[in-house]
Amino acid sequence: MNWFELIEKCFWFGIAALGFAVLFNVPPRTLLNVFLIAATGCLCRLLFMHDGMNIILATFIGACLIGLLSILAAHKNATAPFILSIPAVIPMVPGVFIYRLILGLVRIAEYSSGNYPPQLLSDTVNYGLKSFFILGAIAMGVAFPMMISRKETAKNFLVSKRKKLPAKI
Amino acid sequence: MSESESKKLSETGSLLLEIGNLLMCSGASTARVRMTINRISDALGYSTDLFITHRALMLTISDANHEQFLSSLKRVAPHGANFKVISGISRMSWRIVEDHWSLEQIRKEIERLRTVPHYSRTIVLLVVGLAGAGFCRLFGGTYIEMMVTFVASFIGLLVRQEATAKHFNQYLCVFFAAFVASFIAGSFKKFGLNMELEHAFATSVLFLVPGIPLINTFSDVIDGNILNGVIRGVHGLMVAVAISLGMLTTILIYHF
Repeated sequence: MNWFELIEKCFWFGIAALGFAVLFNVPPRTLLNVFLIAATGCLCRLLFMHDGMNIILATFIGACLIGLLSILAAHKNATAPFILSIPAVIPMVPGVFIYRLILGLVRIAEYSSGNYPPQLLSDTVNYGLKSFFILGAIAMGVAFPMMISRKETAKNFLVSKRKKLPAKI
Repeated sequence: MSESESKKLSETGSLLLEIGNLLMCSGASTARVRMTINRISDALGYSTDLFITHRALMLTISDANHEQFLSSLKRVAPHGANFKVISGISRMSWRIVEDHWSLEQIRKEIERLRTVPHYSRTIVLLVVGLAGAGFCRLFGGTYIEMMVTFVASFIGLLVRQEATAKHFNQYLCVFFAAFVASFIAGSFKKFGLNMELEHAFATSVLFLVPGIPLINTFSDVIDGNILNGVIRGVHGLMVAVAISLGMLTTILIYHF
Protein backbone atom coordinates (compact mmCIF):
# COMPACT_ATOMS: atom_id res chain seq x y z
CA MET A 1 0.00 0.00 0.00
CA ASN A 2 1.34 3.34 -1.02
CA TRP A 3 0.67 5.64 1.91
CA PHE A 4 1.24 8.83 -0.02
CA GLU A 5 -1.35 7.83 -2.59
CA LEU A 6 -3.80 6.88 0.16
CA ILE A 7 -3.50 10.23 1.92
CA GLU A 8 -3.68 12.06 -1.39
CA LYS A 9 -6.92 10.29 -2.30
CA CYS A 10 -8.42 11.17 1.07
CA PHE A 11 -7.42 14.78 0.52
CA TRP A 12 -9.12 14.93 -2.87
CA PHE A 13 -12.16 13.17 -1.46
CA GLY A 14 -12.37 15.93 1.15
CA ILE A 15 -12.06 18.57 -1.58
CA ALA A 16 -14.89 16.93 -3.54
CA ALA A 17 -17.01 16.99 -0.38
CA LEU A 18 -16.19 20.69 0.07
CA GLY A 19 -17.42 21.33 -3.46
CA PHE A 20 -20.80 19.90 -2.61
CA ALA A 21 -20.83 21.70 0.73
CA VAL A 22 -20.36 25.02 -1.05
CA LEU A 23 -22.95 24.08 -3.67
CA PHE A 24 -25.47 23.29 -0.90
CA ASN A 25 -24.56 26.50 0.92
CA VAL A 26 -23.67 25.01 4.30
CA PRO A 27 -22.76 27.48 7.05
CA PRO A 28 -19.06 28.48 6.73
CA ARG A 29 -18.27 27.36 10.29
CA THR A 30 -18.98 23.73 9.31
CA LEU A 31 -16.73 23.62 6.22
CA LEU A 32 -13.64 22.35 8.04
CA ASN A 33 -15.64 19.60 9.73
CA VAL A 34 -17.17 18.51 6.43
CA PHE A 35 -13.67 18.18 4.99
CA LEU A 36 -12.34 16.20 7.97
CA ILE A 37 -15.36 13.90 8.23
CA ALA A 38 -15.28 13.15 4.52
CA ALA A 39 -11.54 12.43 4.53
CA THR A 40 -11.89 10.10 7.52
CA GLY A 41 -14.75 8.21 5.88
CA CYS A 42 -12.71 7.85 2.70
CA LEU A 43 -9.69 6.59 4.65
CA CYS A 44 -11.86 3.97 6.35
CA ARG A 45 -13.34 2.86 3.04
CA LEU A 46 -9.97 2.64 1.28
CA LEU A 47 -8.37 0.71 4.12
CA PHE A 48 -11.17 -1.86 4.12
CA MET A 49 -10.96 -2.16 0.35
CA HIS A 50 -7.21 -2.59 0.58
CA ASP A 51 -7.86 -5.38 3.04
CA GLY A 52 -9.75 -7.18 0.30
CA MET A 53 -13.25 -6.24 1.29
CA ASN A 54 -15.97 -5.87 -1.33
CA ILE A 55 -16.42 -2.25 -2.46
CA ILE A 56 -20.11 -2.30 -1.54
CA LEU A 57 -19.56 -3.32 2.06
CA ALA A 58 -16.57 -1.00 2.38
CA THR A 59 -18.73 1.89 1.14
CA PHE A 60 -21.40 0.99 3.66
CA ILE A 61 -18.90 1.05 6.51
CA GLY A 62 -17.34 4.29 5.31
CA ALA A 63 -20.77 5.93 5.03
CA CYS A 64 -21.66 4.67 8.52
CA LEU A 65 -18.52 6.25 9.91
CA ILE A 66 -19.40 9.53 8.19
CA GLY A 67 -22.91 9.40 9.68
CA LEU A 68 -21.54 8.70 13.15
CA LEU A 69 -18.90 11.43 13.03
CA SER A 70 -21.41 13.96 11.76
CA ILE A 71 -23.73 13.23 14.70
CA LEU A 72 -20.84 13.88 17.07
CA ALA A 73 -19.68 17.00 15.24
CA ALA A 74 -23.21 18.42 14.92
CA HIS A 75 -23.30 19.03 18.66
CA LYS A 76 -20.19 21.17 18.49
CA ASN A 77 -21.18 22.99 15.32
CA ALA A 78 -24.76 23.87 16.27
CA THR A 79 -26.33 22.34 13.18
CA ALA A 80 -28.23 19.22 12.22
CA PRO A 81 -26.16 16.07 11.51
CA PHE A 82 -27.34 15.64 7.93
CA ILE A 83 -25.98 19.08 7.00
CA LEU A 84 -22.52 17.64 7.59
CA SER A 85 -23.13 14.11 6.35
CA ILE A 86 -24.82 14.72 2.98
CA PRO A 87 -21.95 16.70 1.40
CA ALA A 88 -19.45 14.30 2.96
CA VAL A 89 -20.87 11.10 1.46
CA ILE A 90 -21.74 12.28 -2.03
CA PRO A 91 -18.18 11.84 -3.36
CA MET A 92 -18.64 8.10 -2.77
CA VAL A 93 -21.05 8.02 -5.73
CA PRO A 94 -19.62 5.48 -8.23
CA GLY A 95 -19.31 7.87 -11.16
CA VAL A 96 -17.12 5.78 -13.43
CA PHE A 97 -19.22 2.63 -12.94
CA ILE A 98 -22.37 4.53 -13.86
CA TYR A 99 -20.63 5.96 -16.93
CA ARG A 100 -19.56 2.48 -18.06
CA LEU A 101 -23.09 1.22 -17.43
CA ILE A 102 -24.56 3.90 -19.68
CA LEU A 103 -21.94 3.30 -22.35
CA GLY A 104 -22.54 -0.44 -22.21
CA LEU A 105 -26.30 -0.03 -22.49
CA VAL A 106 -25.87 2.18 -25.55
CA ARG A 107 -23.53 -0.34 -27.17
CA ILE A 108 -25.96 -3.19 -26.50
CA ALA A 109 -28.84 -1.19 -27.91
CA GLU A 110 -26.87 -0.46 -31.07
CA TYR A 111 -26.85 -4.11 -32.14
CA SER A 112 -29.71 -4.79 -34.52
CA SER A 113 -30.26 -8.36 -33.34
CA GLY A 114 -29.28 -10.15 -30.15
CA ASN A 115 -25.79 -11.16 -31.32
CA TYR A 116 -23.81 -8.80 -29.08
CA PRO A 117 -20.78 -10.29 -27.38
CA PRO A 118 -21.60 -11.95 -24.04
CA GLN A 119 -18.66 -10.15 -22.45
CA LEU A 120 -20.31 -6.80 -23.15
CA LEU A 121 -23.57 -7.89 -21.55
CA SER A 122 -21.95 -9.35 -18.45
CA ASP A 123 -19.72 -6.30 -17.97
CA THR A 124 -22.69 -3.96 -18.26
CA VAL A 125 -24.78 -5.97 -15.81
CA ASN A 126 -21.85 -6.07 -13.41
CA TYR A 127 -21.34 -2.29 -13.50
CA GLY A 128 -25.06 -1.67 -13.19
CA LEU A 129 -25.50 -3.89 -10.15
CA LYS A 130 -22.40 -2.45 -8.51
CA SER A 131 -23.61 1.14 -9.03
CA PHE A 132 -27.05 0.30 -7.70
CA PHE A 133 -25.81 -1.39 -4.57
CA ILE A 134 -23.16 1.23 -3.87
CA LEU A 135 -25.80 3.97 -4.09
CA GLY A 136 -27.99 1.95 -1.69
CA ALA A 137 -25.06 1.44 0.67
CA ILE A 138 -24.38 5.18 0.72
CA ALA A 139 -27.97 6.11 1.58
CA MET A 140 -28.34 3.31 4.11
CA GLY A 141 -24.96 3.83 5.72
CA VAL A 142 -25.54 7.51 6.38
CA ALA A 143 -28.96 6.92 7.92
CA PHE A 144 -27.87 3.93 9.97
CA PRO A 145 -26.20 5.73 12.94
CA MET A 146 -29.22 8.01 13.32
CA MET A 147 -31.55 5.01 13.40
CA ILE A 148 -29.38 3.18 15.93
CA SER A 149 -29.06 6.16 18.24
CA ARG A 150 -32.85 6.55 18.00
CA LYS A 151 -32.59 10.30 18.09
CA GLU A 152 -34.59 12.16 15.52
CA THR A 153 -32.56 15.23 16.16
CA ALA A 154 -29.36 15.90 18.01
CA LYS A 155 -31.44 16.13 21.17
CA ASN A 156 -28.59 16.93 23.53
CA PHE A 157 -27.95 19.80 21.26
CA LEU A 158 -28.75 22.56 23.72
CA VAL A 159 -28.37 26.00 22.30
CA SER A 160 -28.34 27.67 25.72
CA LYS A 161 -25.17 25.82 26.72
CA ARG A 162 -23.21 27.17 23.82
CA LYS A 163 -22.12 30.71 23.26
CA LYS A 164 -25.01 33.05 22.62
CA LEU A 165 -25.95 34.15 19.17
CA PRO A 166 -25.43 37.83 18.35
CA ALA A 167 -28.16 39.84 19.97
CA LYS A 168 -29.52 41.42 16.80
CA ILE A 169 -31.21 38.33 15.31
CA MET B 1 -62.55 33.74 22.19
CA SER B 2 -61.33 37.27 21.90
CA GLU B 3 -60.43 38.99 18.68
CA SER B 4 -56.72 39.27 19.50
CA GLU B 5 -56.39 35.58 20.30
CA SER B 6 -57.87 34.50 17.00
CA LYS B 7 -55.62 36.94 15.22
CA LYS B 8 -52.62 35.46 17.02
CA LEU B 9 -53.73 31.98 16.00
CA SER B 10 -53.86 32.82 12.33
CA GLU B 11 -50.57 34.68 12.53
CA THR B 12 -48.90 31.66 14.12
CA GLY B 13 -50.39 29.42 11.46
CA SER B 14 -48.97 31.47 8.62
CA LEU B 15 -45.56 31.70 10.31
CA LEU B 16 -45.43 27.93 10.76
CA LEU B 17 -46.35 27.40 7.13
CA GLU B 18 -43.61 29.80 6.07
CA ILE B 19 -41.09 27.87 8.19
CA GLY B 20 -42.24 24.61 6.62
CA ASN B 21 -41.96 26.14 3.17
CA LEU B 22 -38.40 27.32 3.82
CA LEU B 23 -37.39 23.90 5.14
CA MET B 24 -38.97 21.99 2.25
CA CYS B 25 -37.45 24.13 -0.47
CA SER B 26 -34.00 24.08 1.15
CA GLY B 27 -33.71 20.29 1.10
CA ALA B 28 -34.94 19.00 4.48
CA SER B 29 -36.53 15.58 4.78
CA THR B 30 -40.24 15.20 5.53
CA ALA B 31 -39.71 13.95 9.08
CA ARG B 32 -37.51 16.93 9.81
CA VAL B 33 -40.14 19.43 8.61
CA ARG B 34 -42.83 17.81 10.72
CA MET B 35 -40.60 17.60 13.78
CA THR B 36 -39.49 21.22 13.59
CA ILE B 37 -43.01 22.57 13.11
CA ASN B 38 -44.38 20.47 15.95
CA ARG B 39 -41.57 21.57 18.23
CA ILE B 40 -42.22 25.23 17.55
CA SER B 41 -46.00 24.99 17.85
CA ASP B 42 -45.74 23.03 21.11
CA ALA B 43 -43.48 25.73 22.51
CA LEU B 44 -46.00 28.39 21.51
CA GLY B 45 -48.82 26.43 23.17
CA TYR B 46 -50.74 25.23 20.11
CA SER B 47 -51.35 21.80 18.70
CA THR B 48 -50.65 21.32 15.02
CA ASP B 49 -51.27 18.67 12.41
CA LEU B 50 -49.46 18.74 9.12
CA PHE B 51 -49.98 17.20 5.72
CA ILE B 52 -46.74 17.39 3.78
CA THR B 53 -46.43 16.80 0.07
CA HIS B 54 -43.63 17.62 -2.31
CA ARG B 55 -45.02 20.94 -3.52
CA ALA B 56 -47.67 21.91 -0.94
CA LEU B 57 -48.11 22.02 2.82
CA MET B 58 -51.41 21.82 4.66
CA LEU B 59 -51.67 22.72 8.31
CA THR B 60 -54.38 22.70 10.93
CA ILE B 61 -53.59 24.58 14.09
CA SER B 62 -55.75 24.76 17.20
CA ASP B 63 -55.35 26.31 20.62
CA ALA B 64 -54.87 24.30 23.80
CA ASN B 65 -58.61 24.01 24.59
CA HIS B 66 -59.56 23.20 20.99
CA GLU B 67 -61.99 26.12 21.02
CA GLN B 68 -60.75 27.51 17.78
CA PHE B 69 -58.84 26.13 14.87
CA LEU B 70 -57.46 27.25 11.55
CA SER B 71 -56.63 25.29 8.42
CA SER B 72 -54.54 26.64 5.63
CA LEU B 73 -52.59 25.52 2.63
CA LYS B 74 -49.36 26.83 1.20
CA ARG B 75 -47.59 26.10 -2.03
CA VAL B 76 -43.93 25.17 -1.58
CA ALA B 77 -41.39 27.15 -3.59
CA PRO B 78 -39.27 25.23 -6.12
CA HIS B 79 -36.81 22.93 -4.41
CA GLY B 80 -33.17 23.83 -4.13
CA ALA B 81 -30.40 23.31 -1.64
CA ASN B 82 -29.67 25.81 1.09
CA PHE B 83 -28.38 24.23 4.26
CA LYS B 84 -27.72 27.58 5.92
CA VAL B 85 -31.47 28.09 6.14
CA ILE B 86 -32.07 24.64 7.62
CA SER B 87 -29.32 25.14 10.15
CA GLY B 88 -30.71 28.55 11.07
CA ILE B 89 -34.25 27.25 11.51
CA SER B 90 -32.99 24.36 13.62
CA ARG B 91 -31.22 26.79 15.95
CA MET B 92 -34.22 29.10 16.00
CA SER B 93 -36.58 26.27 16.98
CA TRP B 94 -34.51 25.50 20.05
CA ARG B 95 -34.32 29.14 21.01
CA ILE B 96 -38.10 29.38 20.72
CA VAL B 97 -38.39 26.43 23.11
CA GLU B 98 -35.81 27.65 25.59
CA ASP B 99 -35.93 31.44 25.43
CA HIS B 100 -39.70 31.74 24.73
CA TRP B 101 -39.41 33.96 21.69
CA SER B 102 -42.35 36.13 20.70
CA LEU B 103 -44.01 35.96 17.29
CA GLU B 104 -42.35 39.24 16.37
CA GLN B 105 -38.88 37.82 17.03
CA ILE B 106 -39.69 34.70 15.02
CA ARG B 107 -40.86 36.79 12.09
CA LYS B 108 -37.69 38.87 12.14
CA GLU B 109 -35.53 35.74 12.22
CA ILE B 110 -37.44 34.26 9.26
CA GLU B 111 -36.94 37.48 7.33
CA ARG B 112 -33.22 37.29 8.05
CA LEU B 113 -33.02 33.63 6.99
CA ARG B 114 -34.86 34.30 3.75
CA THR B 115 -32.14 36.69 2.64
CA VAL B 116 -29.22 34.71 4.02
CA PRO B 117 -26.24 35.14 1.66
CA HIS B 118 -24.92 32.44 -0.66
CA TYR B 119 -21.24 31.92 -1.26
CA SER B 120 -20.02 34.25 -3.99
CA ARG B 121 -20.35 32.90 -7.49
CA THR B 122 -16.60 32.83 -8.21
CA ILE B 123 -15.93 30.80 -5.09
CA VAL B 124 -18.68 28.30 -5.91
CA LEU B 125 -17.40 27.85 -9.45
CA LEU B 126 -13.79 27.42 -8.37
CA VAL B 127 -14.54 25.01 -5.53
CA VAL B 128 -16.89 22.91 -7.66
CA GLY B 129 -14.24 22.80 -10.39
CA LEU B 130 -11.72 21.62 -7.82
CA ALA B 131 -14.25 19.07 -6.58
CA GLY B 132 -14.49 17.74 -10.13
CA ALA B 133 -10.72 17.43 -10.24
CA GLY B 134 -10.85 15.62 -6.91
CA PHE B 135 -13.43 13.18 -8.23
CA CYS B 136 -11.22 12.49 -11.19
CA ARG B 137 -8.25 11.73 -8.94
CA LEU B 138 -10.40 9.45 -6.75
CA PHE B 139 -11.27 7.25 -9.70
CA GLY B 140 -7.65 7.03 -10.71
CA GLY B 141 -7.23 9.87 -13.21
CA THR B 142 -3.90 11.50 -14.00
CA TYR B 143 -3.03 15.14 -13.28
CA ILE B 144 -3.75 16.15 -16.86
CA GLU B 145 -7.19 14.56 -16.63
CA MET B 146 -7.75 16.47 -13.40
CA MET B 147 -7.12 19.74 -15.17
CA VAL B 148 -9.50 18.76 -17.97
CA THR B 149 -12.18 17.91 -15.38
CA PHE B 150 -11.63 21.21 -13.59
CA VAL B 151 -12.30 23.19 -16.76
CA ALA B 152 -15.27 21.01 -17.73
CA SER B 153 -16.94 21.20 -14.30
CA PHE B 154 -16.32 24.92 -14.08
CA ILE B 155 -17.99 25.67 -17.40
CA GLY B 156 -20.70 23.07 -16.82
CA LEU B 157 -21.79 24.69 -13.58
CA LEU B 158 -21.66 28.10 -15.23
CA VAL B 159 -24.05 26.83 -17.91
CA ARG B 160 -26.37 25.39 -15.29
CA GLN B 161 -26.48 28.66 -13.36
CA GLU B 162 -27.14 30.67 -16.49
CA ALA B 163 -29.87 28.27 -17.65
CA THR B 164 -31.51 28.36 -14.21
CA ALA B 165 -31.43 32.16 -14.26
CA LYS B 166 -33.23 32.09 -17.60
CA HIS B 167 -35.99 29.90 -16.07
CA PHE B 168 -35.54 26.84 -18.21
CA ASN B 169 -37.11 23.62 -17.02
CA GLN B 170 -34.93 22.26 -14.22
CA TYR B 171 -34.23 18.94 -15.93
CA LEU B 172 -33.34 20.78 -19.11
CA CYS B 173 -30.84 22.87 -17.11
CA VAL B 174 -29.21 19.67 -15.92
CA PHE B 175 -29.19 18.32 -19.45
CA PHE B 176 -27.48 21.45 -20.79
CA ALA B 177 -24.89 21.37 -18.04
CA ALA B 178 -24.15 17.66 -18.50
CA PHE B 179 -23.91 18.09 -22.25
CA VAL B 180 -21.55 21.06 -22.11
CA ALA B 181 -19.35 19.56 -19.39
CA SER B 182 -18.91 16.24 -21.16
CA PHE B 183 -18.55 17.96 -24.54
CA ILE B 184 -15.66 20.04 -23.22
CA ALA B 185 -14.04 17.04 -21.53
CA GLY B 186 -14.41 15.07 -24.76
CA SER B 187 -13.09 17.91 -26.93
CA PHE B 188 -9.69 17.68 -25.23
CA LYS B 189 -9.44 14.12 -26.45
CA LYS B 190 -10.86 14.82 -29.87
CA PHE B 191 -8.83 17.87 -30.75
CA GLY B 192 -5.84 18.09 -28.43
CA LEU B 193 -4.43 15.42 -26.19
CA ASN B 194 -3.92 12.10 -27.85
CA MET B 195 -4.53 10.03 -24.73
CA GLU B 196 -7.14 8.10 -22.80
CA LEU B 197 -9.48 10.53 -21.03
CA GLU B 198 -12.18 8.16 -19.83
CA HIS B 199 -11.91 9.26 -16.19
CA ALA B 200 -12.10 12.93 -17.06
CA PHE B 201 -15.12 12.31 -19.29
CA ALA B 202 -16.96 10.24 -16.69
CA THR B 203 -16.29 12.53 -13.73
CA SER B 204 -16.86 15.88 -15.44
CA VAL B 205 -20.64 15.61 -14.86
CA LEU B 206 -20.51 14.35 -11.28
CA PHE B 207 -21.17 17.79 -9.77
CA LEU B 208 -24.75 17.32 -11.01
CA VAL B 209 -25.53 14.11 -9.09
CA PRO B 210 -28.84 14.40 -7.20
CA GLY B 211 -27.35 13.72 -3.79
CA ILE B 212 -30.02 15.33 -1.61
CA PRO B 213 -32.91 13.50 -3.34
CA LEU B 214 -30.96 10.22 -3.08
CA ILE B 215 -30.48 10.45 0.67
CA ASN B 216 -33.83 12.07 1.42
CA THR B 217 -35.59 9.32 -0.55
CA PHE B 218 -34.11 6.72 1.69
CA SER B 219 -34.75 8.57 4.94
CA ASP B 220 -38.34 9.41 3.93
CA VAL B 221 -39.14 5.79 3.05
CA ILE B 222 -37.52 4.54 6.25
CA ASP B 223 -39.48 7.06 8.34
CA GLY B 224 -42.74 5.91 6.78
CA ASN B 225 -43.32 8.92 4.53
CA ILE B 226 -43.35 6.53 1.62
CA LEU B 227 -45.26 8.67 -0.84
CA ASN B 228 -42.91 11.62 -0.37
CA GLY B 229 -39.96 9.28 -0.64
CA VAL B 230 -41.19 7.90 -3.93
CA ILE B 231 -41.75 11.40 -5.29
CA ARG B 232 -38.22 12.43 -4.35
CA GLY B 233 -36.91 9.22 -5.86
CA VAL B 234 -38.62 9.89 -9.16
CA HIS B 235 -37.25 13.43 -9.16
CA GLY B 236 -33.73 12.11 -8.51
CA LEU B 237 -34.17 9.55 -11.26
CA MET B 238 -35.23 12.27 -13.71
CA VAL B 239 -32.10 14.27 -12.88
CA ALA B 240 -30.01 11.15 -13.45
CA VAL B 241 -31.75 10.56 -16.78
CA ALA B 242 -31.05 14.17 -17.78
CA ILE B 243 -27.37 13.75 -16.93
CA SER B 244 -27.06 10.56 -18.93
CA LEU B 245 -28.91 12.08 -21.88
CA GLY B 246 -26.44 14.95 -21.87
CA MET B 247 -23.52 12.54 -21.86
CA LEU B 248 -25.15 10.38 -24.54
CA THR B 249 -25.49 13.36 -26.83
CA THR B 250 -21.75 13.97 -26.53
CA ILE B 251 -20.97 10.28 -27.06
CA LEU B 252 -23.06 10.31 -30.23
CA ILE B 253 -21.39 13.46 -31.53
CA TYR B 254 -17.85 12.26 -30.88
CA HIS B 255 -18.42 8.56 -31.64
CA PHE B 256 -16.66 7.37 -28.50
